[in-house]
Order: sequence, then C-alpha cells, then structure tokens
Amino acid sequence: MTTMIQVENVAKTFTLHNQGGARLPVFDNVNFSVEAGEALVLAGASGAGKSSLLRILYGNYRPTAGSIHITHAGRPVDIVAAVPRTVLDIRRRTLGFVSQFLRVIPRVSALDIVRDPLLARGASPEEASTRAKAMLARLNLPERLWTLAPATFSGGEQQRVNIARSFVDPSPIMLIDEPTASLDAANRDVVVELIAEARTAGSAIVGIFHDEAVREHVATRYLDITSFRKAA
Amino acid sequence: MTIHQMPAKDTKPAYNYAYLDEQTKRMIRRALLKAVAVPGYQVPFGSREMPLARGWGTGGIQITAAIIGPADTLKVIDQGADDTTNAVSIRKFFERTADARTSEATDEATIIQTRHRIPEAPLKSGQVMVYQVPMPEPLRRLEPREAETRKMHAWAEYGLMQVKLYEDIARYGEITKTYDYPVMVNGRYVMAPSPIPKFDNPKMHMSPALQLFGAGREKRIYALPPYTSVRSLDFDDHPFRIQSWSQPCGLCGAADSYLDEVVIDDQGGRMFVCSDSHYCETRRAEGHRGTMLGDATASGLVEEKTP
Amino acid sequence: MTLHVAPAELALEPAPLLSVTGVSRFYGARIGCTDVSFDLWPGEVLGIVGESGSGKSTLLRCLAGIDKPDEGEVLFRGGAEPLDIYSVSEQERRRLMRTAWGIVHQNPRDGLRMDVTAGGNVGERLMDRGDRHYGQIRERALDWLQRVEIAGGRIDDRPRQFSGGMQQRLQIARVLVSEPRLVFMDEPTGGLDVSVQARLLDLLRVLVRDLGLAAIIVTHDLAVARLLTDRLMVMKDGRVVEQGLTDQVLDDPHHAYTQLLTSAVLSV
Repeated sequence: MTTMIQVENVAKTFTLHNQGGARLPVFDNVNFSVEAGEALVLAGASGAGKSSLLRILYGNYRPTAGSIHITHAGRPVDIVAAVPRTVLDIRRRTLGFVSQFLRVIPRVSALDIVRDPLLARGASPEEASTRAKAMLARLNLPERLWTLAPATFSGGEQQRVNIARSFVDPSPIMLIDEPTASLDAANRDVVVELIAEARTAGSAIVGIFHDEAVREHVATRYLDITSFRKAA
Repeated sequence: MTIHQMPAKDTKPAYNYAYLDEQTKRMIRRALLKAVAVPGYQVPFGSREMPLARGWGTGGIQITAAIIGPADTLKVIDQGADDTTNAVSIRKFFERTADARTSEATDEATIIQTRHRIPEAPLKSGQVMVYQVPMPEPLRRLEPREAETRKMHAWAEYGLMQVKLYEDIARYGEITKTYDYPVMVNGRYVMAPSPIPKFDNPKMHMSPALQLFGAGREKRIYALPPYTSVRSLDFDDHPFRIQSWSQPCGLCGAADSYLDEVVIDDQGGRMFVCSDSHYCETRRAEGHRGTMLGDATASGLVEEKTP
Repeated sequence: MTLHVAPAELALEPAPLLSVTGVSRFYGARIGCTDVSFDLWPGEVLGIVGESGSGKSTLLRCLAGIDKPDEGEVLFRGGAEPLDIYSVSEQERRRLMRTAWGIVHQNPRDGLRMDVTAGGNVGERLMDRGDRHYGQIRERALDWLQRVEIAGGRIDDRPRQFSGGMQQRLQIARVLVSEPRLVFMDEPTGGLDVSVQARLLDLLRVLVRDLGLAAIIVTHDLAVARLLTDRLMVMKDGRVVEQGLTDQVLDDPHHAYTQLLTSAVLSV
C-alpha cells in the first residue's frame, strides 16, 4: 500500500498579537501516516484541533513545527517547506479539500462549478458537462438549478454543489471537513457512497464527521487527536 | 559697389542682400544641411522676426532668403497662382531686397516658393521647392505634449498616427484628411507635407528637385533631398487615393490637374479651373481650350493674350 | 459564462517570469517601499495588499517600468534571456510596456484615450507594432470587446459614453490584445459598485485562467485578493511583513498587522 501522507512532529500554536500576544497551543508531536485506500477519521472533542489539523494537511494553516510529506506524482513532497506554486500544483492534481460550506463565486453556475475541475484536468467540454450533470443528478439537485449561480440556493443545495465539485473527479487524497451537516438522510447516504467509491478507486481519505452513522460507514481507521493535545 | 551695399531704388533704408544678415543665413543653411541629411526630421532653427506677421510665410521666406543668389530665378505661388496678393508681395520683397530675377514660368525657376500647392509641371534636377508650413508637427492634434512627440519621432512610435486614420475610417468610412496628409519619409520619419492637397503628395515622391520646408512661427525646418521615398500613410485595405473631379478645367480642358471651384455669377454659376495658373496659361497658349473659355474671357476672368 | 477553454497548466518552468531583488524607492527621507524581493512564475497571480501609504502603489510602479527604483533590480524573462528592465533604453522599455506586459490603471482615464473610439483604443497596440490591415484590426478589436463583455455595437463609441465598469473592461481588452505575459492591475475594482465589481472580478478570474497570464494585483480589498490571487504579499509602511499562499495568509495570518487586517473585515 502506498503511503500518501506522512506527518512528522507537527505542532501548532496560534499567537494572537492583537490580544496581547496571547498564545493558543493546539497540539504537538503529531505523527501519523495515511495509505491509499484508507479512510482515516479524526476523532476528539470539539476544540481539540481536528479542523486545524485538516487545514494544516491542506496547506491552509502553517504548522509551528514539523513536516508533512504528500505523495505527489509518485514522489513525497513536504508541503510545509514547499513554495506556493508547488502547493497549488499539489492541490490541483493530488490533494482535494471538501469544505463544510460552498465558497460562492459570483455569477458562476452550479454546472460550471462542477465542470471546472474536470476541465482543469483536461477533459473535453462535452465530457465535463456529461459527468457534471450526472453528479448533480445523483445528489438530487433539481435540474432547474443547474444553470443558476448558487448564491441564492439554500445551505443544503449549496453544499450539494460543493460535494459534487469535489467528487466528480476524486483526487488521490481527499480531506473532508464535516460535509453532511446541512444534508438530509438521503443525501447523506449519497455522500457515504461517494466516499466509498473514491476509496475503492484508490484515494486516501482523511475526514471529520460529527454524524455517528456516517462515521461508522466511512471509517477504516480512527485517530483520536486528543492525545496530541499540547499543554498550555 | 557690391550688390548688397547698393541703396534700394526708392531711397528707403538699405537692406542686406535678401534682408537677412549673413550670420543668420549661415545659421539657416546649417539647419538646412542637417535637415537634408536626415530627411523628414524637424530641425529647430532661430527663426527671425520678419517684416510681416507670423502665418504669412515667414518660414518659407527665411529659407529663400538664405539660399537665393544673383544667379537664381524665383517663382512664388500661393494656392497655385502667381498673381494672388501674397505671392505678389513676397515676389516684390525679393525683387527689392535681393534684386531677384523673377518669373511665373515653372520651368524657368531655380527656386519656387509655394503656399499650399505643388506645380503641375514636373520639377527638374537643380530646382528647389520651398514650402511654407504652418504646423510642422504631424502628431500635434493627437498628442499636445512636445516632449512626448519628440520621443515618438525619436523612437518611431507612430501607432497613434495610424489610430487617427483608423478613427476616420470607423467614423466616415474613409480617411478624411484631404490636405496636409501625413507621409512616411525615407521609411523612417512621419512628416507633415504642409497644407498641400493630398492630390499633390505623389509629386513629392522621388522628385528630382530639392524640397525644403520652413515653419517660421514654430521655428522648424525640414527637407527632402532629391529622389527620396515619400509614402502617404494608409491601410492595406484602404489604400491612399487622390482627388478627382467630374469635369476637366473649364479654361484649358486639363483632366489631370488640381482644380479650383470658382463662382462666376450671382446665380451660383460655377466653373472648375486649374489651381496652377501658369500651367493653365501654358496649355491655352498651346491651343488647348476648355468649354468655358468663351464665357470666361467675356466676363473678364481671363485676359486673352494676343499670340 | 465560459470562453474557449484550454487547461491552464501551471507549468513548473525552470525560470520565473519576473525576479525582483531588493527593490527600494525613497522620497527623500521617506520610504516608498524598501527591500522587496520575490519571484513570479507564469500563470501565478500575486496580490499586494495593504492600506493607503503602505507602499504598494510605489512598488507596482517600480515593477511595471514606470519609476526606476533607487535600489534593487527587476528582471523580466520574456524571451530566452532575463532582462533588467531598467538597464535597457527608455525606447526598449516603452516597447516592452506596450507588448510584453500591460498595466490596468485604477482610473480608466489613465489607461485609455478618452477621445478615441473603443475599437481604436483596443486596436492601438496592434497598430503600434505595425499592423496595417483595417479590417483585421477591427475584427480583433471586436473579438476582444466581446471577450470583456462589451457589446460589439459599441465599438465606435468613445469611452466617455461608457460606465465606469465598462471603461475598466475596455482597459483590460486594450492591454490584453497584444497578448502580454504579465499584467499589472492597480485597484482594478476601486470606485465600482459591488455588483459591477463582481462582474469584473469574474471576468478577470476567467481571463487569467484561460490565458495563463501572470498577474500582479494591488488592492486594499481582501475579498478581491481572496478571489483572484494565488499568493499574497502584505505591506505596511513600505515593507513586506508577510507573504505566502493567499488562503494561508488570510486564514492563518502570522504577523500582527496581517492579523489586524483580516480581523477588521466583516467576512472574508
């Protein structure tokens, strides 16, 4: 099994300069790895730093110490030390992030949002459209919404567009942050299926799920990060 | 006594030969040499106060004054005619100050000073054309800053000129400039040929004559040495075209010259006449007759010269 | 809205398009900007954010070839060899500014000829480089006007008759017609209504993606930076205090000033 993520000695402390330099330690000495085909679920109490860890894996947060090697194009690359354009390339081809909410860009239709990653990876416009439509249909998004920009959608509708975009062409590594909060049971099930399909196709998954049922179905392994909690 | 020490004929104060002092003439000649060495490039010069106001040909007069000598024959035309007020005044000026030999015949002249026309008769090697120029800077209307236009000429940044032509075509369907039509000289400088009609532009190209341009108020001199390439600016799909008329000259029947439209009576009657008066005369002397010649003689427009 | 799409490969090319080293510019004793260094690769969009007086506009002018810095150098790799843009003649620099890169000014009046038609404005760079076929020039101008969502029927109107948003889009077309590799933008959405801004930002986003442009965008608006840029440089009092991936700088700011900036915005 290929190691897709190798986390070594990662630590994170926030320093709030505008609040008298207050320091908020989150964790330290974080060490673990994730293999292709695994679905690692991060567990721990609220505020333990699960989201922070996920964002650090994505390069969105910068750790205070440590290294994170992502297997990109067959080679391990430390995203902590990498220059911005390398991180962007990793995100484009290897590392996907499924957020809790859709970041709305004005004027882009739901369909175009879902087609975008396919086009970026070289699919033809026709193929991109076909697959995007199939994915939106699978998530039960009404067809009349496909050509509209999601700014006026409900939270659940927006999130389904977000999920469609993330799973229409799953990345080799998927980081998933609480994707089902705004979804009903039927759509939650679709998400579970999509994650399973991605995993079967070889993706490595790291996720945070508050819904117990979803967690049970998705996880192949748990990691309780409370043990990495750093003393203040 | 040498010619420039002789008192003028009617006891007015004596002038130096051709009015300007010798040092000024040398300065102007130096500017002329520079201008000839870089065709189309505007050379600044120390334009003098002349005994007539700016805008009446002081640039042209200074050039003529700098180059005229006792062996020269001077022709002066204004809008193609030898007998208009300004042409007459300028001719008299040089007769008095340089005792110049003058003529209306194009082929007899060694120096031809002109406002706004080139004679129809082809010029010959050894002749000098002196043009009177109001605005030497072809880019002025597009770019008011002198500092900027100097850079544009220095670095051949002429895109803006082309934009102006584009604008004409976009607005009117064709390039509307009909006089002072900008030209590219020697493949390097864009030049303002003075307000000659675009009809005359082709005459400047590869002319055997030396062509000198003087702008008195703006203090610039430029030149075209003989056999210089002069190309009117245009687009590949909107090529440069000269004017044409629906009728030939009413007096001499010429179909290849630039015609003026003349109102001949109070009822709005018009006729078209060669702008180049000498050319027309010559053709009539050779026996060419236009359809309006009879009427024109009767109304006193033309003096029928006894052969 | 989609244009013809070619996947913009962020090619990991061996050499950066722009290499900036130790650039400083002073106004007497006052610091305009000081000791700025970075590299920019093709396809990257770099944002420079900061408040008024932070030095971001001064820096932009140094990078774009308008003002020579007092210290440091700016190397541009348009062709095979890197070029110190201030070591070449003013003539060559002016030529590069018309062809290899472009500047979209904050005030459209600084970047457009207000007395020339839209078509003439867009076609000027083509005529500068020697294009002499009216029909072809007009066709290209029309093509670009449509790409920036200006109706083709307005090709013969003058910018005075355009709204602010349209003038900005016209500026963009005018600059992009020569297919520059690098575009500088100074507060591209400043002074525009929110809805107009959204349209312009969307257009910029698509153009940058489809044309593989490198761009440097100066803005005080973090939402604009978030939407358009890959990387961000935060400036205060003439210095770069923080730089990195845009989402990382905005979501996990480390410098005190960056934290202040991000917390001051209602929602970014």
